Amino acid sequence: MTDHAQVLADVRRGMIPAHIYNDSALFELEKERLFSRAWLFVAHESEIPQNGDYVVRRVLEDSFIISRDSRGEIRAMFNMCLHRGMQVCRAEMGNASNFRCPYHGWSYRNDGRIIGLPFHKEAYGGEDGFKKKGQTLLPAPNLASYNGLIFISMDSGAEPLEDFLGDFKYYLDFYTKQSAQGLEVRGPQRWRIKANWKIGAENFAGDMYHTPQTHTSVVEIGLFREPKAEKRKDGATYWADKGGGTTYKLPPGTFEERMRYVGYPDEMIDRIKQAWTPQQQRLVGEDGFMISAASCFPNMSFVHNWPKVEDGEDVLPFISLRVWQPISADETEVYSWFAVDAAAPEDYKAKSYKAYLMCFGSTGMFEQDDVENWVSLTNTAAGSMARRLLLNSRMGLLEDNSVVVDPLPAEQFHGPGYAQVGYNENNQRELLTLWADHLEMPPVRTDATAVGTHNPDGITPLVQTNRAPAVPCPSTEEKAAQA
Amino acid sequence: MTSTEPPARAGHGAAHSEQSVLGGHAPRQQRVGKPLTFDDARHLQAHQFLVDEAYLLDAQEYRAWLETLTDDIHYLMPVRVTTALGSGFDTSPGMAHFDENKYSLSRRVARFVTEHAWTEDPPSRLRHYITNVRTFASSDDDHLVVESAELLFRSRGDVNEAAFVSCGREDLLRREGQSWKLARRVISVDESVMRMQNLAVFL
Repeated sequence: MTDHAQVLADVRRGMIPAHIYNDSALFELEKERLFSRAWLFVAHESEIPQNGDYVVRRVLEDSFIISRDSRGEIRAMFNMCLHRGMQVCRAEMGNASNFRCPYHGWSYRNDGRIIGLPFHKEAYGGEDGFKKKGQTLLPAPNLASYNGLIFISMDSGAEPLEDFLGDFKYYLDFYTKQSAQGLEVRGPQRWRIKANWKIGAENFAGDMYHTPQTHTSVVEIGLFREPKAEKRKDGATYWADKGGGTTYKLPPGTFEERMRYVGYPDEMIDRIKQAWTPQQQRLVGEDGFMISAASCFPNMSFVHNWPKVEDGEDVLPFISLRVWQPISADETEVYSWFAVDAAAPEDYKAKSYKAYLMCFGSTGMFEQDDVENWVSLTNTAAGSMARRLLLNSRMGLLEDNSVVVDPLPAEQFHGPGYAQVGYNENNQRELLTLWADHLEMPPVRTDATAVGTHNPDGITPLVQTNRAPAVPCPSTEEKAAQA
Repeated sequence: MTSTEPPARAGHGAAHSEQSVLGGHAPRQQRVGKPLTFDDARHLQAHQFLVDEAYLLDAQEYRAWLETLTDDIHYLMPVRVTTALGSGFDTSPGMAHFDENKYSLSRRVARFVTEHAWTEDPPSRLRHYITNVRTFASSDDDHLVVESAELLFRSRGDVNEAAFVSCGREDLLRREGQSWKLARRVISVDESVMRMQNLAVFL
């Protein structure tokens, strides 16, 4: 680590060596120590609503089939045949009871178990030669979900997902739990940008300062009334454990009036009041802050904005989830989903989708100008001059590390973590400090295993940590526990 | 079925438009019969429309382009996904890159003509290559269905690699007075993961 000790020390004091945004040696370290360990978002349960539905998602180079099996359980399995390593599923999504390897015809149930092995007896001498019984595709090392958001960790010894997320869960609920029915997620749109993955994550985490400059054009055309400079700096940023984000300050009013101000219809507000805790409602109703963009370490982000989607004064909110999937030190694949409360009226869903398309995603008018900046930054970070330049990421701090603006007292901001009104780079520093901490951790053990493929009941299904499983019948484990 | 019938995955523009989330307002005319012969005056007019449009888009003359669209335009670009043969679909359900009406297209154009659309300042160098054009009659004389293949080349700055988008299009043209206007366009992009940094372009 001696090579990078100075880099990490600089990052921790908010002076960012510019080359961290385009450095292949650091990218190797990120793969070995960060992406091998942190919980990474891969899919939402609503993307695979029916038994047999699956999506295929990658964690860096590793392809996983995320499948809802024929009994409704969700599993994640490494998309590589146990025999010669061919991908057993080459589609991105679909519905299947089993996956057949095109190479030699081995086939697997949608819970991972081998069901077909051609000429098992003749070629292998049956079970004596290859123990087919109880063998499965290699499971994802760790799988969990929160509010239907499915995460994989490549570390079988990772801390539980909810411990990892920590107090950021309080804010996650604003985006992902607006009724008991939870989210309906569509997409993703996917595209590749020649930009380092950290830049987008930092931007969504806390960059209120860029809004009035970068996004001038969307205010000029009447798409969004809020980002004018004087309004944006009235918002607060917050950080809580693994995530943080930005908020807008709303005009005076009750919880209901402020939810109406950003465009929620009354029936949705009624359901939201059932879904959010009193403490969550106080952030809007008493403190007057409405969540906007956010990031969850390391590479997941969120958007909640309320643009004008047709002539007139009415605005309408939309929610988007996204992943900054690293391809290399200078390339990222963006996955951008539209998300809406599953219980929302159909007319609202359609307009909210329109709001998303106009603002974010592959064609979004906000997004277009962001990416232009990030590509340029990444390009410029590749050379030797970038190794001599420390980028100032100390906004909000004086030279002696005292703060320019005091954090909000608890009675003015009812969320966990800490929050501060106005422009600052607290959240970008928090995100990069977590990044630095991970780069100093030892590599995760990734021993070769054949044992991990022996799962007589299929691959261990996903456990819902914060709500009743979708399928009411008790699992095998629960039955065993009751016996 | 004859050999001139479109392949199974082509010619579904009208259906895509009808099934899209925001296509409720879209005109529903569909192709009728075989492609018109290349010396048919209607084909020549449709071909000229597409070529003239390509020059407008290359030059980013978007306000003039907006004038070539009908007021009830539906401009749709579904998200393509890789699915197993026989699965019956190859677009992402309920999701698109573009699912636009005249208002949302007009906002996109309005943004480009502000002085603060940084993604196109300096502007991209664009070339829309249009080929494989064929024209079909529709159920009435005032509409034509036109298919084309399109390759967009986009170069930005001097350092970045150029980017391409390859797609097929199915358009519905409507006669308005002495000219044709675009009433519906369904863009079938050939990649599931776009290799362009954004779609601050029209296809």
